[in-house]
Amino acid sequence: MDQLAVSVTSIGLSHFLVLGVIMLGIGVVGVFLRRNVLITLMSIELMLNAGNLTLLAFARAQHDMRGQALAFLVIAVAAAEAAIGLAIVVGVFRNRRNTDLDDLNLLRY
Amino acid sequence: MSVTESFPLYLIVLLPFLGAALNLLFGRRMSNGLVSLIACGSVAGAALVATKAVWILAHDLGVKGALTDQLFKGDWITAGDLHIAAGLALDRLSAIMVLVVTWIALLIHIYATGYMEHEADYSRFFGYLNLFTGSMLILILGDSFPVTFVGWEGVGLCSYLLIGFWYSEDKNATAGRKAFIVNRIGDFGFLLGMCLLYTAIGTLKYSELSSHLMQLRMPLWQGWPTAYWVALLIFVGCAGKSAQIPLYVWLPDAMAGPTPVSALIHAATMVTAGVYVVARTHVIFDITPSAAQMTVAGIGAVTALMAATIGIVQKDFKRVLAYSTVSQLGFMFVGVGTGAYVAGIFHLMTHAFFKAGLFLGAGSVMHAMGGEGDITKMGGLGKHMPITRWTFFVYCLAIAGIVPFAGFFSKDAILAGAFASHFEMAPTASAFQQHMIEWYPKLLWGILALAALCTAFYMWRLYFTVFTGRFRGTPEQEHHLHESPSEMTIPLIVLAAGALLAGLIGVPEIMVHGLPESVEHVLTFFNSWLVPSVLPASPEPHEHAVEWGLMAAATLISLGGIGLAAALYRGGISRTAESAKEKLKPVYNLLFNKYYVDEFYDLIIVRPLRVLAKVLWKAADAVVVDGGLTKVGPAIVGFVAGLTRRIQSGDVQRYLVAVVVGTAGILFVSTYWLPYAGVQGEVAKQGRKVTLDLSRGRVPDGRLVYQIDWDGDGKYEIVNTRFTKGHVHEYQNPGTYKIVVEARDPQWGVVKHSNDFFGARVPMTVTVE
Amino acid sequence: MIGQLLSSSTAALGSVLGLLAQVPTGQVQQVPADSLHPSWCPAWAFWILSGLTIAGALVTITRRNLIGAVMALVATFFGLAGIYAMLSAHFLAAIQILVYAGAIMVLFVFVIMVLNREEEDPWALRSPFAKALGTGALVYLLVRLGEVIIGGNPPPMARGGNPPTDFGSVAAMGDYFFTKFLFPFEAVSILLVIAVIGAVVLARTSVKPTSVHDLPYADQPHGPQKTISATEAEAESPAAHGGH
Repeated sequence: MDQLAVSVTSIGLSHFLVLGVIMLGIGVVGVFLRRNVLITLMSIELMLNAGNLTLLAFARAQHDMRGQALAFLVIAVAAAEAAIGLAIVVGVFRNRRNTDLDDLNLLRY
Repeated sequence: MSVTESFPLYLIVLLPFLGAALNLLFGRRMSNGLVSLIACGSVAGAALVATKAVWILAHDLGVKGALTDQLFKGDWITAGDLHIAAGLALDRLSAIMVLVVTWIALLIHIYATGYMEHEADYSRFFGYLNLFTGSMLILILGDSFPVTFVGWEGVGLCSYLLIGFWYSEDKNATAGRKAFIVNRIGDFGFLLGMCLLYTAIGTLKYSELSSHLMQLRMPLWQGWPTAYWVALLIFVGCAGKSAQIPLYVWLPDAMAGPTPVSALIHAATMVTAGVYVVARTHVIFDITPSAAQMTVAGIGAVTALMAATIGIVQKDFKRVLAYSTVSQLGFMFVGVGTGAYVAGIFHLMTHAFFKAGLFLGAGSVMHAMGGEGDITKMGGLGKHMPITRWTFFVYCLAIAGIVPFAGFFSKDAILAGAFASHFEMAPTASAFQQHMIEWYPKLLWGILALAALCTAFYMWRLYFTVFTGRFRGTPEQEHHLHESPSEMTIPLIVLAAGALLAGLIGVPEIMVHGLPESVEHVLTFFNSWLVPSVLPASPEPHEHAVEWGLMAAATLISLGGIGLAAALYRGGISRTAESAKEKLKPVYNLLFNKYYVDEFYDLIIVRPLRVLAKVLWKAADAVVVDGGLTKVGPAIVGFVAGLTRRIQSGDVQRYLVAVVVGTAGILFVSTYWLPYAGVQGEVAKQGRKVTLDLSRGRVPDGRLVYQIDWDGDGKYEIVNTRFTKGHVHEYQNPGTYKIVVEARDPQWGVVKHSNDFFGARVPMTVTVE
Repeated sequence: MIGQLLSSSTAALGSVLGLLAQVPTGQVQQVPADSLHPSWCPAWAFWILSGLTIAGALVTITRRNLIGAVMALVATFFGLAGIYAMLSAHFLAAIQILVYAGAIMVLFVFVIMVLNREEEDPWALRSPFAKALGTGALVYLLVRLGEVIIGGNPPPMARGGNPPTDFGSVAAMGDYFFTKFLFPFEAVSILLVIAVIGAVVLARTSVKPTSVHDLPYADQPHGPQKTISATEAEAESPAAHGGH
């Protein structure tokens, strides 16, 4: 086995990117795995954060503030999206009495 | 040669079309008065221009002179060697036709403003009528076959449109269709004749026909010269247009159209187009007189007799006149068929006058009778409609051929020409045939004489039944009887004058011997106008006695017919007539049912076509086209859609699975697959020489950079090559070697070794002796 | 329980971070030229924070209890905030805690209170085909990731040296937002207004509540009743409450 490209003591850009990827993967698995729509929304927040992490890592690596500005905007938009998403969830599931994603198949052929 | 001069002839054609365009496009919004003004005005304009043109032709140009014009500059059709210009020409023959057509058309337009007064589709009628006039003028003025053909088709179309004018009634639409289809058969013959002519002489202009007689005399088929076949084919077209056997069946049915249409199209103009074309192209017919002309004359004569006999027993006013038209056209064709072209054209002209008048009179009567056309329901109309009655009287005298009315001179000219014509058989023909050919002219004359007898009879039967005696219709109709308005009676009067006087310009030579020079000049004007410049002289009996004898015979025949009609029908349908009808019932039925010709055609032509159409519809169309072609497509689409539809499950999580799978796929293909695929290779061994081929992986050449290690020692012998083929290595020592290939994608920087975990599927080892 | 563990550890970590954030104090250590972490932050901080993040994420997606899941997510966010701080994004680290952990998660908690149902079978995707496909794709992605970690590809681009000292500070962010990124800034503010209004519109009841039973309260596991007249509601409520 070759030498690890990711060193333990020296934290480079790759570390942060890998962390981002792992978080993204966990978020994706979370969306797949659970039927509860709220868990799905939380997993989506996880994915957004992974993206943010990547942005910030690159911003730091390139010494460019724009990455951070963009991450800030992403947080704002994520907040808006969470609010709307939860409102939709509340509205839809008020009458259905369960929070089951499997029941939302009206767009089926 | 002929002198030609340019003249704006296009106006003659353009004005009626302009009127048609205005009336058809905007007529709905215009008042009746404006519509009729445009319609009559455009025809009047054309008539005036035509008169001016003929005036110039007569005075400034010589005997063979012609006025020429082109509808638009440059060639109309160019195809290979064929160049046809849309040319118009006015020579002495077309001068006569143009004058007849434009002035009679004008009279009928004026008549129609009164007749069609209460018609809802007023503007459409006049639009079509103008369209017809324009097309007829193109036909007459065309200087080559194609231009004439344009007019030919145009009048056919307008005939269809006008016959079926009241198309909401099935009968009318059917009649229009019948006319068009039967005409079409004739047109096909005309077209074939044109094509044959072109292949023979390479030109289609009338003026160039006489310079190509040599080619036309060449035998074509069965020993007959080209000219014969061309003439025959063109005659097929003329038979269709001018209602001769076997294509006359449309004309009686065409009476379903409004009466002005019958007057204009089926009496005075369109049906005469056939006669005109034969006269126009007489040089072709003259080349084989005994063949082409015999055919034409023979068919004309038989048609004349047949139609006349049918006309004796018809009960519908217009139908009698229709059969009369067919019969008179037969006369004209005998005229042009026996070489008496002048006679044929003369009869055309006089016939236009009195036949148009007869139809307009019929319209007047039907107008008074509230649309009723059955003569057995009429009677005694004379006292209610004097103008109509006395003009009708004049027309009947004219058509019966009583001196000095027009019909006498023209019919006499035809009869004399028929009697005196001369045909010859080829010397190789049998004696019987030679004998027959001598009697042929006399036979023609006999048939025509019989037809003339019938003509006089049925026309006067018509007159007496309708205008004398007691009224046989319903009381309401009797109350309604009145003379027609002046728009309708004035044309009647004008035409009656024409029927009276028109004959007086074609008086035969022998009748004007002793008269002063100028009078003689006027009286024989027609003949001298056309002969010998445009048409050859008509055959004439050699002895004067024969000629006088023929004239006397003709007059006797006519008087006999009138007398018979008077005896049977004067003062109403007499009992003698009724009992004769009963006694000769089978003959009566045969004649009344038009010799069952329509039924015959239905049986052998129409029904098989219908069956064929049905088969094609049900089998070919429904099964093959609908089932096969139009259903196959949707079936395939449906099938595929059914399969792919299931991707859309409505389940969001599944969609995300799809997204992730897609992402993985993209990642794989863009960064991994290329080098991976590029490492697949094939090894070919030849002794100690080994060839490596890396192109199996469907990676295009030059995409990847390869490094090849031939003996597995870790050092790459071939470095940084983009070639996939042609790597050859000769091993020095025998043994088993492992070939290691490294493929690098320069774009993504991804590297693959062939002995990686995910490397080449087939380890590349080679054993060399 | 795990949630509580996480929460307490988060609190501890928060204090540690606060210590660390006192910038000039603390020894300056030598760091390789292409490394990213600020000189005042030890390398092992990264491993702890990332461990926390990943653990929190895993717990979030596997907990049946929704509140537990939310708490784990909060822990994740705290870890992330620390990592942001490591990346010299100080302002964003603070914002992350304020907005994400503080506001969004609270919102989630509210909604969970409203719709408090545990699902019978929490695991979705019963179709084996979809499971196989998804798993396969994920495994593939992880393998590629492993390649990156284990393999010897050239490292991604990074500029050497330290960034300017005000990198990631409030002043620098403000500078960007009020000059170059002014339009997105304003647009996002409008977006937030729309989101607020939208949330209100979407979540309100369309039926005017005529009785107390129409209001979506958590103590009514069956959701709001149909609109019934007041008298019937009165008659029904003891029965409903009695049976409950």
